[in-house]
Amino acid sequence: MKKAMKRTLSLLLAGILLVSLLAACGGGNGGQSNPPPASNPPASAPGGSGASGGGTDAPAPLEGEITFWHSFTQGPRLETIQAAADAFVAENPGVKITIETFSWADFYTKWTTGLASGNVPDMSTALPNHVVEMIDADAIIPMDNLIDSMGRDRFYEAPLTEMTAEDGSCYAVPLYSHAQVMWYHQSLLDKYDLEVPTTWDELYDAAKKISGGEGGNAFGTSVPMGTNDMMATRFLNFYVRSAGETLLTADGKANLTSQAAIDGINYWIKVYKDCSPTDSLNFNVLDQATLYYTGKICFDFNSAFQIGGVETNAPELLDQIDCAPMPTINKGDPQVGYETSNIPMVIWKNSAHPEVCEAFIKYLYRPENYVPFLLSVPVGMLPALKEIAEDPAFLSDPTVQKFTHAKDVISKAVGEGTAIGMESGPRPEAGLLTSQGVIESMFQDIIINNTPVEQAAKAAEDKLNDLFETLG
Amino acid sequence: MKNKRLLKRGWFGDTVSYIYLTILALIAIFPMAWVLLTSVKGKGEMTGDPTSILPKVLTLDNYRTVIEQLNFGNNIANSIMVALSTTVIAILVSALGAYGVVRFFPRFGKIMTRVLITTYMFPPILLAVPYSIIMGKVGLMNNRLGLVIVYLSFSVPYAIWLLVGFFQTVPLEIEEAARVDGANKIQVFGRVVLPIVAPGLVAVAIYTFINAWNEFLYSLILMNSSEKMTVAVALKSLEGQEVLDWGVMMAASAMVVIPSVIFFMLIQKKIAGGLASGSVK
Amino acid sequence: MKLDNRVRDKLAGFAFILPALLVVGLLLLYPVVSSVFFSFTSKHLIKPAYEFIWFDNYIKILTDPDFWAAFLTSVKWTIASLAGQILTGFTAALALERIRRGKGAYRTLLIIPWAFPSIVIALSWKWILNGVSGFLPNFLVKLGLCETAPQFFSSGGLVFPTLVFINVWFGAPLIMVNVLSALQTVPKDQYEAAQLDGATPWQSFIHITLPHIRVVVGLLVVLRTIWVFNNFDTIYLITGGGPANLTQTVPIYAYNVGWGLKQLGRSSAVTVLLLIFLLIVCMFYFKILDKWEKEGA
Repeated sequence: MKKAMKRTLSLLLAGILLVSLLAACGGGNGGQSNPPPASNPPASAPGGSGASGGGTDAPAPLEGEITFWHSFTQGPRLETIQAAADAFVAENPGVKITIETFSWADFYTKWTTGLASGNVPDMSTALPNHVVEMIDADAIIPMDNLIDSMGRDRFYEAPLTEMTAEDGSCYAVPLYSHAQVMWYHQSLLDKYDLEVPTTWDELYDAAKKISGGEGGNAFGTSVPMGTNDMMATRFLNFYVRSAGETLLTADGKANLTSQAAIDGINYWIKVYKDCSPTDSLNFNVLDQATLYYTGKICFDFNSAFQIGGVETNAPELLDQIDCAPMPTINKGDPQVGYETSNIPMVIWKNSAHPEVCEAFIKYLYRPENYVPFLLSVPVGMLPALKEIAEDPAFLSDPTVQKFTHAKDVISKAVGEGTAIGMESGPRPEAGLLTSQGVIESMFQDIIINNTPVEQAAKAAEDKLNDLFETLG
Repeated sequence: MKNKRLLKRGWFGDTVSYIYLTILALIAIFPMAWVLLTSVKGKGEMTGDPTSILPKVLTLDNYRTVIEQLNFGNNIANSIMVALSTTVIAILVSALGAYGVVRFFPRFGKIMTRVLITTYMFPPILLAVPYSIIMGKVGLMNNRLGLVIVYLSFSVPYAIWLLVGFFQTVPLEIEEAARVDGANKIQVFGRVVLPIVAPGLVAVAIYTFINAWNEFLYSLILMNSSEKMTVAVALKSLEGQEVLDWGVMMAASAMVVIPSVIFFMLIQKKIAGGLASGSVK
Repeated sequence: MKLDNRVRDKLAGFAFILPALLVVGLLLLYPVVSSVFFSFTSKHLIKPAYEFIWFDNYIKILTDPDFWAAFLTSVKWTIASLAGQILTGFTAALALERIRRGKGAYRTLLIIPWAFPSIVIALSWKWILNGVSGFLPNFLVKLGLCETAPQFFSSGGLVFPTLVFINVWFGAPLIMVNVLSALQTVPKDQYEAAQLDGATPWQSFIHITLPHIRVVVGLLVVLRTIWVFNNFDTIYLITGGGPANLTQTVPIYAYNVGWGLKQLGRSSAVTVLLLIFLLIVCMFYFKILDKWEKEGA
């Protein structure tokens, strides 16, 4: 008994020590209590339009601690950002940058909860649909000063328009762009003597042939419908856009009962039943992409992030993957069904040091930082600055060289698409359209409960419109 | 011990028992075995032939990735720190509290334990936002101490509730004898009462530790930096990586689950007494 | 000044329970009260302004078919999981009591699932049951038991039983261990007496074992009911409530309303309703337990 007592006591002591240690290294998270006025003059002097950029010769030394949340959780992307931050801090000794990373899925939980409790970063990356919600919640500040000081005409126009709210201010600065196109494994096409499909029907026939021939070892394609992601919405949007329709009407109502939408739902259900692994009913973006990386599906719709994925998972397959423009409804139609993602950075209203954020963002766009960042996922991240797209340092990368065709296909697509539901500008409805899993649930309902398509589509449309009411 | 011999023993019942237990044991260990086997398989092997059980090539690459690139050891250390601190503080606070109730407010004992068990009913999700607001206000967001405090609020009521039962088994006469010998209340508590309820304390400590070690939701919401994350959240974030790598995920899972399993095996005798001998009395 | 002994006793008592009162009072009371308060407001997760709307949230929830579906799923999930856990845990404990050799080894192996944190439960089972590269589906095909790989997480008929199975797998060891130790408290001489009277093992079990352990087991059932009903992690991490909301329980529903829709007020109201329901259920449980305790005494 006595021994046990002694042990308990020493344990207690150890614990108390631990706690004090914890408290000691728990460190400050200060600087969020007093939000400064929203408007702020650009901190540093003339941001010349030359590619060399400005900032080092800023008059007053920068000071302050900022937190930067981004979603590049892995590998070279993470490292290039960290390297740029380290270099920036070295040049500005008064500045401290704390970087924290989350996957996109956790990121959403993080900033929404963070906003509720007053714990958001100073600056962060964002998804276009998040930006709309952030503007709606009055959580981020306009970036026009920064954009103007960097040179507005250096940016592509579409991404800026996409981030411009009704009040005319642009709330985010685009970091990189990519678009969803159709990817395939050439080896599987060759095996079944198939051409690259150009219409949805051709795609179905090809996928069916492959699924049938492989008997479960591989599939023609996969239709991901997991409710914790927006993949089914994305796939439906491809089809609907290629028919010239949209999932969101110009006045912000859900539109799942248009002829194009009904056709699209029927099309993907048919593809799911005949060509797709059954489990894709629950797939999120990663489940889906992993199948493509490992050559288990021939066709997939994604950006050039596929290249890096294949390279890590099955490097031997790298020589025979490529992408093609989105299929169309009828042969020879112009291809319009693109979804573009312009991934931006935002500065949060709570930030005590927006000027530091701005200076750091500018610093990130310097070629010596920006090009290595873009090349950390070669072709996957296309430059947001026009001059970089032509920069030999960017173009001479071996992967960029190897996938020139893919780069051209995607670059063209980037110019022609928008984010889902943002065809007529940024709308908070677009956020709910993709974030609530309504369309995914609709697909699952049709498959699991055999609900008639029109009925399920109507129900989902009503549900979405109900959800839109909460925005009011 | 004796009752074993007294139960009627037939070979049939024994055989059935053994078969039943063997089946259960296989199901019980399969996931752990599979996690381990997958974690040492080479890239491509696990998706190439999903039913091959033994790895063709044994590799520790996945573990290397987990330790070197993802710095997972750090997350394990965080989890241990948080769980251990929670356990120590919770035991201290609730042992005092439970003893206080039993000795000084015996009449409130019953009501109080009912109230305490009610707190166990609060759906954790109910408290997520209020907690993050409080932690934000006092500057303990993204802070391991903040997490410890939140875990305390859950573990203390439960621990008191369990401990009340143990303290009630301590005969008052022993305390009075010590009092006569000149010990004050704290001394009586520390030197006489605590050793008697030590098995209970250990059992409750283990429950508390396990719950803190396994907790996911609050850790997800309250912690931001990867170097401060607990294992549960660090593991979850692997699922959201840019490249889904089951080998790495299984290696990381193995690193979490193997110590837990060993811990459980070592302490299994102690947990046994937990609920049964305490609470109900 | 010399204080009267009783006052001193009370003061000492307060000193003992003060830390506990502080923890419970500050850390639990405030969040609960604020949640109840928010449940009467239009509080939005990320917008500061809100107003008092009385019972609107409650009305909205109680008229939402999705809520009732989630409620039904929760009830089914709790009953099925508990029944499975108790049945498995109980029978395993009795089998363990019976065998002579290898008792310790079996026991050690059987408690392994208990050591699994929810995220590892989710990852390992998702991997084993993965419809494309998972062991079990492919193994079943190889054995010739299924023609195509069964889709445990995406077939409407399989997903709920699969989740319940996983929950039983995880929860049965806890029941087993506690039943085992409760069995030790049964006075051995009663068995002897029963045997002399010619009672069968089954009769001894019903008339001696059960009455002795039912309070412990009953309490265990109360705690497990609460735990399983409130459980968020397991389902969230495995299926997220899908497919087609088939596995959406009330806590998941509350999470979706609060974080997806950002209707924090409404989400709070959901959890308040959940709490009320649990309180009612537990009142019944405690009634029974009290009765048993009195009979036992």
